[in-house]
Amino acid sequence: MLQPELQKVLPKNGKDYYICLGLEGSANKLGFGVIKQSLSDPLDTEVISNIRDTYNAPPGEGFMPRDTARHHKNWSCRILKQVIEECKEKLGQGFDIKKDIDCIAFTKGPGMGAPLHSVCVFARTLSLLHNIPLIPVNHCIGHIEMGRCITKGLNPVVLYVSGGNTQVIAYSNNRYRIFGETLDIAVGNCLDRFARILKISNSPSPGYNIEQLARKGKHLIELPYTVKGMDLSMSGILQYLEQLTKSFLSNGSKFSKQKKRKLLEYLNDTEMIDSVEITVEDLCFSFQEHLFAMLIEITERAMAHVGSDEVLIVGGVGCNLRLQEMMETMCKDRNGKMFATDDRFCIDNGVMIAQAGVLQYRYGYVLENLKDTRVTQTFRTDEVFVNWRE
Amino acid sequence: MSAELIDHVQQYLGKNFPIKLISQGAEALVFETSKHPFDPTLDKEYIIKYRPFKKYRHEQIDRVITKKRTVGECRCLVKLSNMEGINVPQFIASDPHNGFIWQSKIGQTLKDGTFSNLRNFLWLNNNDKNAYTEEVKQVLLNVGKQIGILHTNQYVHGDLTSSNIVLQQEDCNGKWVPFLIDFGLSGYSTLVEDKGVDLYVLERAILSTHSLYAEKYNEWLLEGYKQAYQDQEDLTQVLKRFEEVRLRGRKRSMLG
Repeated sequence: MLQPELQKVLPKNGKDYYICLGLEGSANKLGFGVIKQSLSDPLDTEVISNIRDTYNAPPGEGFMPRDTARHHKNWSCRILKQVIEECKEKLGQGFDIKKDIDCIAFTKGPGMGAPLHSVCVFARTLSLLHNIPLIPVNHCIGHIEMGRCITKGLNPVVLYVSGGNTQVIAYSNNRYRIFGETLDIAVGNCLDRFARILKISNSPSPGYNIEQLARKGKHLIELPYTVKGMDLSMSGILQYLEQLTKSFLSNGSKFSKQKKRKLLEYLNDTEMIDSVEITVEDLCFSFQEHLFAMLIEITERAMAHVGSDEVLIVGGVGCNLRLQEMMETMCKDRNGKMFATDDRFCIDNGVMIAQAGVLQYRYGYVLENLKDTRVTQTFRTDEVFVNWRE
Repeated sequence: MSAELIDHVQQYLGKNFPIKLISQGAEALVFETSKHPFDPTLDKEYIIKYRPFKKYRHEQIDRVITKKRTVGECRCLVKLSNMEGINVPQFIASDPHNGFIWQSKIGQTLKDGTFSNLRNFLWLNNNDKNAYTEEVKQVLLNVGKQIGILHTNQYVHGDLTSSNIVLQQEDCNGKWVPFLIDFGLSGYSTLVEDKGVDLYVLERAILSTHSLYAEKYNEWLLEGYKQAYQDQEDLTQVLKRFEEVRLRGRKRSMLG
């Protein structure tokens, strides 16, 4: 696992561990985290502090780049102070940013431009102020490395599902290669937009609220199901459901008799169909069942294609228990193993950026010019050369 | 568990029906058998493809998808086997409600003991000495040609990967002949878009699975693909759309 010849940079002050501060703000979450990574094993990481603040737009709206950036600017200093407090508690009162932190990692992309930029400016300031090396990190790589750190260095197929990304990734020849991905919109985005029509609350997250509603759903409505090889498409299902939901809402939150008979036709029992009402819960339930079935299917295809038995789910949608349950069932049938993390590490956070940043730092990444810290909205997972893995 | 699934298949076929599991793909279990489903005089090597119930999916979703894909695959196999120049396995019988298809057996064992699909063939030759040989080139040209013929006949495959192409060696001259398999996501389509996506899916599959030599491989595949077209106008349109689809991928960095 460990490649001593690549161990280019040693920790400050002769310690046997690295301390890294990670700054993340690619979407509506602002997360700062500090980790302590052992010199002997890059996967032996201890989380010192992990603080996050989420900007929630009002129900029926999405978060705008401008408002999100303002939120991040407002909260950066306050969160950093909290992080320092926690570090002092855990690492001793003598903790000092300038003296103890080996490197500062921040999200270079992908994400929304304005929020990315506001965090980037904050990172540059800290770095110049205290003369600490700055490491730009790919957001997706952060998710994967954090997951790998939790699963302890196996080589799983990674399903990365979040608000802006839907990818099935596997490692080969120094790159995280994308085997399947969405051809249009991401799964989190799809859920968010559905929540917006129903005016479901954005707090703590639209996906979580849909999940809670879906648990009470009983009747399945058939929706489009689009898988193209190892890729999938979600705009069709969203648009179909949007129209359905609009007619549902304008009709006083129920469907007309004819419509209901058509939607539940597969039950083959008109009397029974007439006796049931389709509810918002049923819509959420059907939506989740279809979306997640597509995700699991492409993951299974990728597993069969690369011949792997392990799956790791990362990203915000990864905390959905129904998705985890479906994945678990699929893995059992293939005699495989499923790994998932909880909301502390699934949802965007600073710790994962720190973890990926430290790896880049210790294997020799040097920032040559401050110009290279420019953020980018389009930054693919497979663009990053992964020199810290065999 | 696959043992459970095999039991289920055995029960469905009858206790003494000889079957041997040869592969477990993402969607289906593939068995080998020496018996014809209903005519004992035709007993020889056959393949049974079984799409099991996926427990993770809602029952209704699964029922619809299994039936749709099984029927679609049968239809495609029959249509394509009547077409000039395309190599597909021969369709024997099917039971779409339970997800079973019988077809003739193709493929053999490679030098290293693995099954002769394109993926294993390329992996076998995955070193600097063998990757660019004439043999590999001819195989890829022929694969490209097969896809080209498929597209000129207005069919799209929908799931082109290197494991969905099986190679069979001709007895007389030892030449590898490619067969297309797994038509679960296929269908009739006159749209340029679908063909472009088909090519894109294949390109991506080659890039991610055979990354070291992918560039050359894709070049050969495309060269073969072009040979299959008589109507240059059609070809230009498909290739143009293929370029567009490639640029459309998410988070693609826009250079220039």
